[in-house]
Order: sequence, then C-alpha cells, then structure tokens
Amino acid sequence: MLLSAFEKVKLENAPFVSMGFFAAAFVMQLTAGNHESALYGSVFNGMFVSNSFTQAAGLVIIGCGFFTAMTCLTYFKQNNPCTMEFYSVLFFATGGMLMLTLSRELITSFISLEIMSLAIYILVGYDRKRVTSTEALLKYLLLGAFAGSFFVMGSALVYGGAGSTKFAEISSFISTHSAGTPLLIGGAFFIFVAFLFKVAAFPFHAWVIDVYDGAATPVTGFMATALKAATFTVFANFLALNGAMQKEWIDFLFYIALFTMFGGNLIAIGQSNIKRMLAASGIVHSGYLLIALVAISTESFSGSVIAYYLAAYSVGTLGIFAALSYLGGKGESRMSFDDFKGLAKVRPYSAAAIAVFLLSMAGIPPTAGFMGKFYIITSAISANQMALAVFGVISSILSMWYYLRLIIIMYFQEPEDTFEIENSIFAPACTFILVFCVFALGLYPIVI
Amino acid sequence: MFQYVLSVMIFMPLLAGLFVLAAPISKGIARLAGFIVTGIILLLGIELFLGFSGSAGMEYVESRVWIESLGVNYSLGVDGISLLVLFTCALLFPLIFVVFSTRTKGFYANLLICQGAMIGAICATDLVLFYIFWEIMLLPIFFMIGLYGGPGRLAATLKITLYTIAGSLLMLAALVYVGVAYHTQFGEWSFNIVQLAKLNLSGGYAVLAFVMFMLAFAIKIPLFPFHTWLPDAYTEAPTSTTFVLSAIMAKIGVYAVIRFVIPVFEIEFARFAILLSLAGVVGMMYCGLAAIAQKDIKRMLAFSSASHMGVIALGVFCMNVQALTGSLFQIVAHATSTGVLFLFVGLMEEKMQTRNITDLGGIAYRAPIFATFFAIAMLASVGLPGTSGFIGEFLIILGAVKFNAFIGILSGTTLIIGVCYMLWMFQRVFFEKPKELTEKFTDLNMTEVLTFLPVILLIIFMGIFPQPFLKKIEPAAQKHIAEFSTVAPTVIVDTTVPSEGLNHQKN
Repeated sequence: MLLSAFEKVKLENAPFVSMGFFAAAFVMQLTAGNHESALYGSVFNGMFVSNSFTQAAGLVIIGCGFFTAMTCLTYFKQNNPCTMEFYSVLFFATGGMLMLTLSRELITSFISLEIMSLAIYILVGYDRKRVTSTEALLKYLLLGAFAGSFFVMGSALVYGGAGSTKFAEISSFISTHSAGTPLLIGGAFFIFVAFLFKVAAFPFHAWVIDVYDGAATPVTGFMATALKAATFTVFANFLALNGAMQKEWIDFLFYIALFTMFGGNLIAIGQSNIKRMLAASGIVHSGYLLIALVAISTESFSGSVIAYYLAAYSVGTLGIFAALSYLGGKGESRMSFDDFKGLAKVRPYSAAAIAVFLLSMAGIPPTAGFMGKFYIITSAISANQMALAVFGVISSILSMWYYLRLIIIMYFQEPEDTFEIENSIFAPACTFILVFCVFALGLYPIVI
Repeated sequence: MFQYVLSVMIFMPLLAGLFVLAAPISKGIARLAGFIVTGIILLLGIELFLGFSGSAGMEYVESRVWIESLGVNYSLGVDGISLLVLFTCALLFPLIFVVFSTRTKGFYANLLICQGAMIGAICATDLVLFYIFWEIMLLPIFFMIGLYGGPGRLAATLKITLYTIAGSLLMLAALVYVGVAYHTQFGEWSFNIVQLAKLNLSGGYAVLAFVMFMLAFAIKIPLFPFHTWLPDAYTEAPTSTTFVLSAIMAKIGVYAVIRFVIPVFEIEFARFAILLSLAGVVGMMYCGLAAIAQKDIKRMLAFSSASHMGVIALGVFCMNVQALTGSLFQIVAHATSTGVLFLFVGLMEEKMQTRNITDLGGIAYRAPIFATFFAIAMLASVGLPGTSGFIGEFLIILGAVKFNAFIGILSGTTLIIGVCYMLWMFQRVFFEKPKELTEKFTDLNMTEVLTFLPVILLIIFMGIFPQPFLKKIEPAAQKHIAEFSTVAPTVIVDTTVPSEGLNHQKN
C-alpha cells in the first residue's frame, strides 16, 4: 500500500502514471478486506493495524491523490510548469498519510506524520518564484516543526507515564491505573496540540489561511482533504484507545470544537478571496469533525461517522479546488469573489458544479455533505451532547452566508470577464466526476 | 403500475426539470415540456383523488429501506390529511405554464424541480425523507427569486433563504433528537411517522425540540411574528413564484405541523396550543390591517395571504375535528382563490407594467370576463357564502369558538377585515374612472379563459357541494384528533407547566 514510485518517464506522462498508481492502490485498498488485523505482525510488532475505519480513510486519501493528480494536469498547463519530482513528492505525502492512518504506536505515528508533513512542505513551496508561496512555506514549516516537536514531547511524557508507546499497552495501563496522572495528562495534551495544529483547530488555526492561499490550488485541495483525513483518523484511533482517557478530555474537546466552529465562521465571513474563504471554512469543518470525536463511543468504536464525513467533505472540497484550478486562469489571477461575477452566464456547467459543491459543504440535501452532517448530529445527540449538536447547527446557519454569497455572485450578477481558460479536459472532467460522487455518496450513503 | 404513482409524481417533474436545465433547448420547448409534464401530473393527481377510498389510513403506500443502520426508509403514502394538499399541488402548476410565456428555460426547469420536491414533501411519511424534500424545495425558489425577481430581489432572496434555512437546520437537530429518543425507548432506529407517534417525550429537551420544529414551520407558513420575510419575498418574486410560494409552499408548512408535530409532540402541542392560536389570530389581524394600507396590489395580496395563513394555522391549533377539517379544506380554497389572484395580478402587470392601485381604474368596463373571474376568486378569498372560502373559514371559526370563545370571536373578524381591503381595492382597480393606462387593457383571450375557467368553477363547486371533499378528509382528521385526545387531556392535567417564557417561539 505504500506507493512511492520514482517513475523515470517523460514529464507529460507523469500525471497519467501517477493516476494509474493511485487507481491501482484504490482497488487494492478496496479489496483488502475490512477485518481487524495487524499488518505484518511479526516484523512490525503490531505497530500497524488495519480495520474498516483505516480502510475507509485510506480510500479517501488515495482518492484525493488521484483527483489531485488529475487536476494538476490542467493546472500546470497554465501555471509554472512543474518537474517530475512533484508527483513523487505527492506519492511520499500519500504514503505518509496511509502509514499514519494505520499506525497504532506513538513513534510510528510521529515518523509517518513527519513523512507526510515534509512532503507537504515541499508541495506548498513548490513554486519558488512566487512570494506568497514562499511565505506560506516558511510559516507552515516553522509552525509545523513546532507541532512536530510537541508531538515528540508528548510521546516522551506518555512513555514515561505508561511505560509504552503502543496504543494497546497504554490503554491497558490506563485501565489498571488511572488516566489522571500528571505525566499522562501532560503527554496527551502535547499530542493533542500537535493533532489540533495539523487539522487547524482553534487556537492553532491561524496558519491555515495564508498557507492555503499561498499553495498551488490543487495542492491546497490535497492538503485540505487528505491531510485532514489522515490526521483525524489517527486522532480518533488515539482518543478511542481507552474510555477513561476519552472521558478525561471530553470537556476540553467540547470547547475546542465550539471555538473552532465559531472562530472559523467569523474568519470566513470576512474573506474576499475564495481560497482564503475555503481555508476558513475548512476550519469550521474541522470543528464538525471534532464534534464527531467528542461523540465517539469507545466501547464500540467503528469510526464510520468520521470516515463518512471525511469522504463527504473531501469530495466537496476537492471538487471546488479542481474547478478553481482551471477557472483560476494564468497565475491564479481569478481568485477573489468579485472575479467570479456572472460565471453562470458564461460557463453554466462549471458554475452549476461549484454551486453543488458549495451546497454540499453547506449541508443541503440531497448532497453528501447533508448526510455527513446528519450523521454527526445523530452521533452527537446519541452521545448525549445535545448542546454541541445545537451549536453545530447554529454554526452551519452562519456558514450559509458565505457559501450563498459565492452562489449569488455567480448567478445573480452580470459577467465582467470572459473566463478564458486553457483548453484541457482533465480538471473539468475531474470536477464533474466529483459532482457525481457528491450525489452518489449522498443518495447511497455507505456506512461501514 | 398505479401503486408507484407517488414516485412517478415526484421524480417525473424532478428529472424533467434537470433535463430541461441541462439540455440545450429553446424556451418554447421548455415551456411545452413543462406543460406536458405538469399536465400528466394533474391527470395522475385527479385519478389519485378519485381512487382515494376515504379511509382514515395511508393509501398508495410505498416503502423501501434506504439507510439501514439508521432505519431511514424511502416511504411514501397519502391519507386524508395530505390528499387535498397534493391535489392542489398537482392542479395549480399547469396554470403557470399556460399563462406566462416570457420566461427563460431555466425558470421552467426550476418550476418543475419545485413541483417534484413539493410533492415529495407532501407524500413522505419518513421524517428524514420529508426533510430532504423540504430543503430541496427551497433551492428552486432561491434561484427563481434571485434570477428573475424584481429590483430588490437580492435582499429578498437572502432574507427568505436565511430565514427558512435557519428554521430547517434547527428542525434537523430536533428531528435527530426525536430519532435518537425513539432509539433509546424502543431499541431500534426509525424515522417513520407512524412509529414515532408512539414516542413518549417529556422534559426540557422535548420542549426545545418542539419549539425547533414549530419554528421551522412557523417561518414557512409564516406565522406571526416570523412573517417579516414574506412581504419582500412575495413582492419581489416573479408572480408565478409568488403563486407557488403562497398557494403551495405555505400550505406545506401547515400540513407538516399536522402530519409531524401533532402526533409526536402531543403534550407540548396541547400546552402551547393557546399561545400558538393567539399567534395565528394576531398574525391574521395584523397582516389584514397592513393589507388595507398597501398601495401595491401584489404587496396587498401578500399581506392578505399571510393573514389567511394565520386563520388556517389557527384551525390546526384548535385541536378539534371541525377546525382541522376546515383547515384542510381551506388549504385548497385559499390556494385556488388567493393563488389565482396572484396570477391575475401577474397578468395585469404584464399588460400594464404597473401594480400601483392608484394608477389603475375602470378595468371592469374594458375587460368584463377578467373582472368577473377576479371577483369570484376575490369573494372566495374573503369567504363569501357559496364559495369555497366560506366553508373552510366557517368550519375553522366554529372550531375556534369551541376551543376558546375569545379566540373564536377574534377569528370572526377575519371576514370583516378581509372584506375591507379586498372590496376597497376591487372598487379602485375595477370601477371608478378608467385611467390612461387601463384604456387599452384587453380582456382575457380564449386560452386564458379556458385555463382559468376550471379553477373558477372549482371554487364555486367546492362552495356549493363541499361534501365530496369533506368526505375524504374527515375520517383522517377524526382519527388524528382521536389519537391526540386519548393522550393529551389526561397527561396535561398531571403535567405541571414549567416556567416557560411567553415568547417561547423566539428562543
């Protein structure tokens, strides 16, 4: 499942080759079987465990990789050309993410987290000549390094407290002793900080706006979806390892989720650039996922709600970034709300696709986003978190404003631009496949 | 074949609408396609109405598992409560396609999608399925007002969309709460309304969930004090959209209260009934008085429509068979009268480019047929005996008096206020001296006469022979009230009312 291939092929063919690899990985992942099993138990000593949750998360990540490669085909035709290494770095990132979803041990988690992060740093700063891209890279690298070191610190403390870095052994330690020892609390806190940083939750969300804005559009899409999917998977696995520990942290996460949702909304409402708005709305979606984390039941943890929401969120977000990467024009010249005035009159199909993605993110039926939100609210209320469910609903009412705003601008205003774009079929095709996915996931919600 | 009629009625317009939207066809063909599709729906609707046996239970039931792990089913059905709403929805859409010819194909596509979603919302017997159609219903309205509305359309679109979305998202939370409560009480997941009716809810969360449901529906109806989106949206929307909003969408709000809120929240409903009915009456009087002062005919009709919706909602809150039957009957009566009045105003606007009452006058001399039709619809709207409006309002007032004498008397004033604004407007627009604008006003042509004639005849027919309609809805209404009153009185006596604020709806 780890596919980091150095294809020595021509640059033009690289995306096709990577798409092929992603497709192959997707099929493998799909047929891998979804029973709980430790991978290569004798070699890795139970560091990797796969189950239906990691399988679903892996599918989401690989799917993100596939569509990102497809989008890049069009994107790099009208922006600075990339080199071969772009695609292999993409593979490294994907590999790191897959390892992260499978890992059941703190050191392994750290290693895969860093594999993923390093690759993402490179992708973010790939366009060296653009100032915003370099700025984004610098910010992300510095802050990300801090987060990484927090993770190591936390692991060390947990090891000191529980005597092991394996999730299973930490869990059995907690059930015989207590989760309330200072070392465990401190360790878990530092680990949470690292995770919360990666998913851009309050109060570690400030980097995300500039970084998403600075990175190339397909990369932003990839970061917003796959990275979040991987981090949330390991976050959920870590949190679900023992009921006592989850209880200890539930209040903390409650407030984090609350502030993440409302903080994200407040940032998003003020944005005038679509990429920045989407970055902020990504914060809000992290908040919803945190609701699902608060509501997970440790006795029968299946992660289906989280996995479904990740899939629903990913198709919507990837789709809109795919659309932006071909509508953005040369050098991403069209990125503010006003640039998209009257898009529906000039390019009705693209505008309709963007509208579908926005409605999915806003959670309007019959899209996948609605089903995701429905599951999250259901899980929150089942876990007796009525207040959190109501706050989630209020936050999505607030978020209607900025999603509707783009739809209104696209549909109800007169066009000022001719929306000339590079004639390439791939990103539009990708967009429409994802539109199909949005409806398919919404109408046939596969719950694992 | 006929057992899938509801699915056909839902998905045929939906798919046709999507097809018209995506296919490169001219607006003429789009209009024709829309007319044919809605025509077929109408025939199916009539067939369904005639075939409906008048039992108290569900007919034409369809059910299929959709999301197994949460017990969500794709289940449809029609009973006496939904029959007339469905009938209205099938009856009125073809009119729009005949009367208005100037719209683009996107508009016709939106209308079709709207009809499909509305029929879906009316027929759904699963709460989640209902919610999905309920939300889809809003999207075409959003685009129709935003793309084709009047000068102030942006503000109006935002207002109606944010209002209704806020309401329905809160409803989503409440809906999930109900489902989860069912899961804890019975150990299995279900969102089917028949099963949910067995629920025994109590406590603060139940009240909160009830308020959330009522909020969503009160915004849609719209019930005082949540009506503020209405004048703007109704005035700025293209006339056919206003027609859809007032004739059908508002009714679905009332219908949903009867269908989903009453069976699930018997106790809360009984507790709040007096407050809600007061809201209905106050809204009715307030909007009626506001209607008198309007200078724009469409805005006046908007207020008048809101005023009548207050009466219809009141009929639901009175919780007895007469009032409930009256409400269900009045749903059709109001849709055919006030709805058609909106269409007439649309025609006048198309012909004279103005809706200002003071600019008009003497139309009756130029266009006698138009004036006659207008008069009949208007008299039905104010509830003159012999028209459909009378039967409905009479039953509602009767029920209201039985429920609470004070509210009954207040509700009686609706007739008086209605007569005030309607007749005064009619006098100024249709009689008095012709103004220069109305000089060249042409009467209805043959097609238009033939289009409106069935509806006008229906108004009179329903007024003189209400029995065929009442017969079909009464058993269901009786059953509904019977189920309700077996639980309610005993429990209400024992329940101490916690200190809830008077303005509970604003929470």
